[in-house]
Amino acid sequence: MSLGFLAFRNMVSKPLNLLLSLLLLVLSVSLVTFVLQLSKQLGSQLDKNIAPFDMVVGAKGSPLQLVLSSVLHVDVPTGNILMEEAEFLNKSPFIEAAIPVSYGDNYKGYRILGTEHAYLDKYQAVLSEGNLFTKPFEVVVGGIVAQKLGLKVGDTFVSSHGLASTSIEAHEDHPFVVKGLLKPTGTVIDRLLITNLESIWEAHEHGDEHEEEHEKEHEEEREVTSVLVKFKNPLGMVQLPRFINENTSMQAAMPGFEIQRLMGLLGSGVKTINGIALAILLVSGLSIFISLLKTIRERRQELALLRTYGLRTSQLLWLVFLEGLFLTLTGFFMGWLLGRLGIWAASYFTQASYGYGLQLFGPDLSELILLGVALLITILATLLASTSIFKLNISKTLSDA
Amino acid sequence: MLKLFDLIKTDTLQFSYTNGPEFTFPDINLKSGEHLLILGPSGIGKTTLLHVLAGLIPATKGSISIAGTNLGSLSRRAMDRFRGSYIGLIFQQYHFIRSLTVYENLTLRQSFPKKIVDKVRAEELAQRLGLLDNLNKKVTHLSQGQQQRLSIALGLIHKPDVVFADEPTSNLDDTNCSKVIELLKEEAERSKSSLVIITHDHRIKSHFENQLTL
Repeated sequence: MSLGFLAFRNMVSKPLNLLLSLLLLVLSVSLVTFVLQLSKQLGSQLDKNIAPFDMVVGAKGSPLQLVLSSVLHVDVPTGNILMEEAEFLNKSPFIEAAIPVSYGDNYKGYRILGTEHAYLDKYQAVLSEGNLFTKPFEVVVGGIVAQKLGLKVGDTFVSSHGLASTSIEAHEDHPFVVKGLLKPTGTVIDRLLITNLESIWEAHEHGDEHEEEHEKEHEEEREVTSVLVKFKNPLGMVQLPRFINENTSMQAAMPGFEIQRLMGLLGSGVKTINGIALAILLVSGLSIFISLLKTIRERRQELALLRTYGLRTSQLLWLVFLEGLFLTLTGFFMGWLLGRLGIWAASYFTQASYGYGLQLFGPDLSELILLGVALLITILATLLASTSIFKLNISKTLSDA
Repeated sequence: MLKLFDLIKTDTLQFSYTNGPEFTFPDINLKSGEHLLILGPSGIGKTTLLHVLAGLIPATKGSISIAGTNLGSLSRRAMDRFRGSYIGLIFQQYHFIRSLTVYENLTLRQSFPKKIVDKVRAEELAQRLGLLDNLNKKVTHLSQGQQQRLSIALGLIHKPDVVFADEPTSNLDDTNCSKVIELLKEEAERSKSSLVIITHDHRIKSHFENQLTL
C-alpha cells in the first residue's frame, strides 16, 4: 500500500471537512478562471473584428456607438451621412480603402448590410457556394446565418424594416435572392447578410413606378450609414480624424481607441472580481491549513503508530502534504471545470444577446500560474501545520489513552 | 530449526524522564525462540522498559542489542527501519488507522518498510484470528474482541523477530485471558517470533517459563 492511497483515504474519511475546503477552493478557482477567460475572449474577439479598419466616419454622436454599430454590428447607428460628403476620403493619399456601409433592414434578426465586395476581402471571407452579388437584391450569406436559417443558393426572402426581428414592417415588394454562401470566418461577417448599397437604397424608396426618376433625382443625395477606412500611412491617423471632426458634419471614430476605452471600463470590473476571488483563494488556503492542522492533531496516535511501522518523519510529512495536494488538485480541477461550464453557459447568453458565442479553450498560462499559486499555498499550509510532526513523541503519544 | 542465538541482550539499562522518575532495569538475556514474561506492579516502569526495548525512546544509560544489532549505534532513520522490519508491537490501547479497513490495516503494516504485500499471509492470519468476515469493515466498526485480535494480527503480520506486548490481557475475563494468551503464543510460534509480554496480570504466569519480575 502506498502513502498516496493512505493520504487519499485520510482525505475522504472526513467528508464535511473535505467539502468545506473544496467548496472554497472551487469557488475561488472557478471565479478567477471564468472572469479571465471571459475578458480574454471578449478582448480577442473585439480585436479580430476591428482589425481591418482604422477609422469609421459616420454621423455625429457617440464615437463608441458608431464603432459598435458600424464595425461590430451590435448597436444602432448614430444616423446617416451623405455619400457625397464622404467622397473626398477616396481621394486622400493617406487612405488605402474607404468602404461605405449602409443598413436598416434585417431578416429574422440578422442584419442586412449594403456594402462593396471590398468589405468581404477585408475580413478574408471566402465563398463556400455560389457567387458574389452583382445586382441589387442579390445577397451573400454569412456562415452562421446560413447555418441557423438553413438558407441555400437560390432561396428568396423578404426583409423587415429596422434592425430587430420584432419589426412588423416588411419590404414585400423587394424580395432578396441568395446568390452565395460564405465560409465561417469567426468574425462579424458570419452573422450578416451582405448585399450591395443599391439594394438598401432601393428598398427604402417608395413608389415603384417612379423608380427610375427617383434614382436620378436622389443620385446626389445618396446616404450611407458610415464609411470604414483603412489607412495607407500612419500620418492619416494623425491628420484625418481631426480634420473630419472639425470641418465636416460627420464624425471620425477610431475603433482601436474606442475599444481600448471600453475594455478599460470592463477592466476595473475584472480586477475587482479577481481581487475578491484571490481573497477567497487565501481563505481556502487558510481552510486547508486548518483542516491539515486538525488532521494532524486528531491523528497524532496514528502518525506515531506509523512511526512504529518504520516510517520516517519525512514520510509522515509527505503523507500530510499528499493529503493537501490531493485536496488542492481536486479543488482546482473542479473549479476549473466549473469556470468552463460557466463560459459554456454564458456563451448561450452572449450568443442570444450580442450574437457572439464564446469558445471553450484548454488551460492557458494564467491558469497554470493560478495553479502554481494554489500549490504554493498548499506547501506553505503543510509546512506550517506539520511542525508538531517533528516534535512527535511516539512513546508518550501511544501510551496516552 | 534455527540455531539458538541471543535475541535480546541488555546491559545495565537505565532510563530517566526529564524532571521525572528514574528507572534501573535488570539485565535481560533472551535466546531466539524463547518467550519472556515481565511482571511488575503499576508505576514501576513496565511500559517505559517496553518502549526502550522497542527503540521508541533511547535509553539514558546501558546498552540493548536485538538480534545482534546494538540499538544505540543506529541513527534515527536506521532505528525506524529496524523497528519496522524486526519488531512487532501490541499496545495496551488499540491503535489502528481509522480511515482504513481491517484488510488495509494489515497490508499497510506489511508495506513498510519492505513494500512487499503478502495477501495470502494477511488472509490466513485473519482467518485464524476470526477476522475473515470483517476484512472489508472499517476498524471503527469492530467489536472490542475483534479489535484485540486485529491488534495481535498487526503485531505479527510482518513476521518480526520479537513482538512486544503491553498488558494484552488487562481487560479480559479468565476464559478470554487464557484464549488470547494461547492465540498469541500459537501465532508467535507460527511466525517464528519471540514474545515479550509485560503485565501485572498474574493469571498468565502459568503460560510462560521465562519470567522476570521488576
